[in-house]
Amino acid sequence: MIVELGAFALILSLMLSVAQTGLSAVGGARRSPVLAGAGRGAAVATFVAVALAFAALIHAFVVSDFSVANVANNSHTAKPMLYKVAGAWGSHEGSMLLWCLVLTGYGAAMAFFGDSLPPRLRAYAIAIQGALGVLFLAYTVFASNPMERLLDPPVEGRSLNPLLQDPALAFHPPFLYAGYVGFSVVYSLSLAALIEGRIDAAWARWVRPWTLAAWSLLTVGITLGAFWAYYELGWGGWWFWDPVENASFMPWLIGAALLHSAIVTEKRGALPGWTAFLALAAFTFSMLGAFLVRSGVLTSVHAFAVDPTRGVLLLIMMGVAAGAGFLLFGLRAGSLNPGGQFRPVSRESAIVLNNILLSTATAVVLLGTLYPLIREAMDGEAVSVGAPFFNLTFVPLMILAFCVLPAGPLLAWKRGDAKGVARKLWTVLAAAAALGLIAYGIVQPRKALASGGLVVGFWLLGGALLEMGERLKLLRVPFAESARRARGLPRGAWGTTLAHAGLGVFVLGASFETAWRVEAAQALSLNDSHALGAYTLTLTDVGTVEGPNYLAERGIVKITDKAGREICHAEPERRFYPTGSQTTSEVAICPRVLDDIYVVLGERRAGEGGKPAWLVRAYVNPWVRLIFLGPLIMALGGAVSLSDRRVRLGVGRRAGEVVS
Amino acid sequence: MIAFWIAAAGLSVATAGLVLRGAARARPVDDAQARLEPHRRRLAEVERLAIDGLLAETELKAARAEAGRGLLAAADQTETWERDGAGPRKAVVIAVGAACVAAVGLYVTVGKPEMADQPYAKRVAAWKAADPATLEPAKIAAVLEGVAADRPTDPEPLVFLAKARAAAGDLPGAEAALRRAVRLAPKRGDLWSLLGETFVVEAKGQVGADAKLAFGEALKVAPNDIRAHYYLGRGRIADGDVAGGLADWRAVVSSLPANDPGRTALGQEIAQVEALGRLPSDQPAADANPQVQGMIVGMVEGLAARLAQSPDDPEGWVRLVRAYAVLGESAKRDAALASATARFKDQPKVLSALRQAADTPAQKTVQP
Repeated sequence: MIVELGAFALILSLMLSVAQTGLSAVGGARRSPVLAGAGRGAAVATFVAVALAFAALIHAFVVSDFSVANVANNSHTAKPMLYKVAGAWGSHEGSMLLWCLVLTGYGAAMAFFGDSLPPRLRAYAIAIQGALGVLFLAYTVFASNPMERLLDPPVEGRSLNPLLQDPALAFHPPFLYAGYVGFSVVYSLSLAALIEGRIDAAWARWVRPWTLAAWSLLTVGITLGAFWAYYELGWGGWWFWDPVENASFMPWLIGAALLHSAIVTEKRGALPGWTAFLALAAFTFSMLGAFLVRSGVLTSVHAFAVDPTRGVLLLIMMGVAAGAGFLLFGLRAGSLNPGGQFRPVSRESAIVLNNILLSTATAVVLLGTLYPLIREAMDGEAVSVGAPFFNLTFVPLMILAFCVLPAGPLLAWKRGDAKGVARKLWTVLAAAAALGLIAYGIVQPRKALASGGLVVGFWLLGGALLEMGERLKLLRVPFAESARRARGLPRGAWGTTLAHAGLGVFVLGASFETAWRVEAAQALSLNDSHALGAYTLTLTDVGTVEGPNYLAERGIVKITDKAGREICHAEPERRFYPTGSQTTSEVAICPRVLDDIYVVLGERRAGEGGKPAWLVRAYVNPWVRLIFLGPLIMALGGAVSLSDRRVRLGVGRRAGEVVS
Repeated sequence: MIAFWIAAAGLSVATAGLVLRGAARARPVDDAQARLEPHRRRLAEVERLAIDGLLAETELKAARAEAGRGLLAAADQTETWERDGAGPRKAVVIAVGAACVAAVGLYVTVGKPEMADQPYAKRVAAWKAADPATLEPAKIAAVLEGVAADRPTDPEPLVFLAKARAAAGDLPGAEAALRRAVRLAPKRGDLWSLLGETFVVEAKGQVGADAKLAFGEALKVAPNDIRAHYYLGRGRIADGDVAGGLADWRAVVSSLPANDPGRTALGQEIAQVEALGRLPSDQPAADANPQVQGMIVGMVEGLAARLAQSPDDPEGWVRLVRAYAVLGESAKRDAALASATARFKDQPKVLSALRQAADTPAQKTVQP
């Protein structure tokens, strides 16, 4: 009964989202408090129904009900419980239901927390959110139903792809979707404002918390995905410029541009059209990501649940949603008030430059991602676009953006003092350059470009700290006064500093790790050793272990330093999952403060004298922890900004206030 | 099914209640509060920053003017929402009612209200209570997994589990069960040699390093283990030591009782190798265990006979069609499909399941 109740709840949610769309749209157009209020109620009801359907699906996975086709295809009784639950979103059908859950969840949140919004804007936004719900729920019910039953269920399930049986990946999709779909609220608010023909500072203030929430969650989601790729796929890298990685990166870049442009619109009323455009683009890129991951049009190491037929449907849905949004934008953009004026040297100009660079960078990533498709359509040739293209196009744009970034927050609104800012920043520049030169001098082998990357990282980090120091008048007034100013500082300012400092931390890690990674691969028999930079690896044992749903060969690799001191025992595994007959590598990582020693056990082969040997690949990844720490600091910055009472959700709601 | 419809009705009423509650709580509203509030807050924030000394005098003036201009502009754009008449309330009731009725209508078309949940534990309990002769090997294996879990120190259920899994085509599962069995009883040579034989079957007849290791362990604790001697001899022949391998096999023959049918079979194999100077083919000796294969065929025919007596069992027909498809018995598959299609021609869900079952690819059954 639980499965069928879930199936019914899913269908009910589709019908309720139709009601949500109709009631809210008519309520907004007729200024009817009753109809708009019912639309808000329908938004909450839709979410409740989808949540029930999702709970029913998770229950089916937990109890291994193989009469549900989705469970039969993606689960197994021997799977650990965490992955049984995660299996609910590990398939095409389940992941679409998760998408719908998050989408309707945001709709309900807007209905619940949206008291500070003008009633008409809120009604239209809830109607648009409902229309998106109709689109995605209809797709889920008719083309990708996770509750589909099997008349004759198999005895056992086919299990979930072993690569997806990983804690980081169990939590990666919920965060990623919370980010992707969070931009749907921004999309809805943007379209609603375009229908009203009113995009102003107040609208930007309403848009900001949703953008912040979506961007922060997407940052965590992408970081978890990169971390998973780093330690699960066993190639030693963390970013591959893979189409699916790019698919999540594009909305993140546009979201970052939107965050900044919304500040200009909020503070100065300027760039309203551009901000609305970015809001539409952010969700469009999210939908593009959903399409790329599931359609199979591009080859990817991350793509899952690929289905070309349903991919076409997703493309049509994306065309409908994005087409409607940009059509309305085209019709209304000309009539929008251009807002406040500003000089070429001002904080607005710095943010405009940031937006131009971020948007161009997004266009470059889009081109690099879709170029294989374009080329194949034109002359049938299969090509792939990888790191060399992005290093020559994307990276210079970002370096330019990073060079300008620390100056932005120090410039005044409207008319800035370039010389004054330069005077403040020169010490940071000198310190960053000095640190870069020191790195060039002492880190072997000498690498000028990588040292330049470190200069950029220190520049970003120093710039963020200087900006905070300026706000607190650190060292220029007594410490007590600085402390008082720190207490009075809005949390948004702390959030900005954290986000910019996190970016600096990430750039430091990425520059150092990419340039000075040490790699070695050698076939080792038992008690053989080989050198890895300053370390020596010795394969001391290989044994067989039995996991809950796999058999594995586990190697014991002793790692010693130059003095012969043992650093750690790495225990990499080569796992065989009988269900599906798949083999995976389980990387062993020895953490060294900021560095990782990363060991992968390869296939067994015949070594010297017929003795068995194993290919052992190992890396020293210096400062790699900063690569993952930096984005988490950025996401924390977003969360701190979100807690600022000026942008907090529901701000303006007071006890006893009327609710329409 | 009644319980399902009661629950579905409850869910419909609850969600409809949320919609109606939203409508009932609606009040006339002036949007001035919402429109002006951000600008008021901006003004207040500017003043607070100035008091805290966080805004320079020039910035303060500009920010104050900017926020003031926004406030004035917003004040010109406010609108009032009047109280609704009865019309919108009726519209809400109709809309929410229509949504629930449409949901029921669509569900009746695509849903399966008659189909109960089938949690794995419940299914296993049903198989446990059933006559084992009516169960396919995978179901027997599922039951035996429970038995093995209930007797964690006894290797015997694991041996049966391995055999059932192998019969179901799950060789890695059989291997895993036997690995656990030899860990529990490392002194039992028969378990080691069974494990070795499983390795051989998994390697499509090749006596690899894992298998040799297992047979070696078997002979350490049971020097007369015939299976181990046979496969090690086979391995020697495959490796080029034909004379050594044949000597092993001849020793096996002489150790078998005079009336053992294995003597004749192995004698024939020895003659073939002597004639060819190598193993007769690359095909594994244990490629298809006739005994187990016969058991499976017997079970399928038993199902066919049962359906002939009680044909009103759609799940049984789906199972029979799939079984014939898996066994590669295409003529019998088509005949069963035709009978079932004619019988259930008015039940599209059954017809769809039958078509799916008929499309199941044939599998080569390998047994240890």
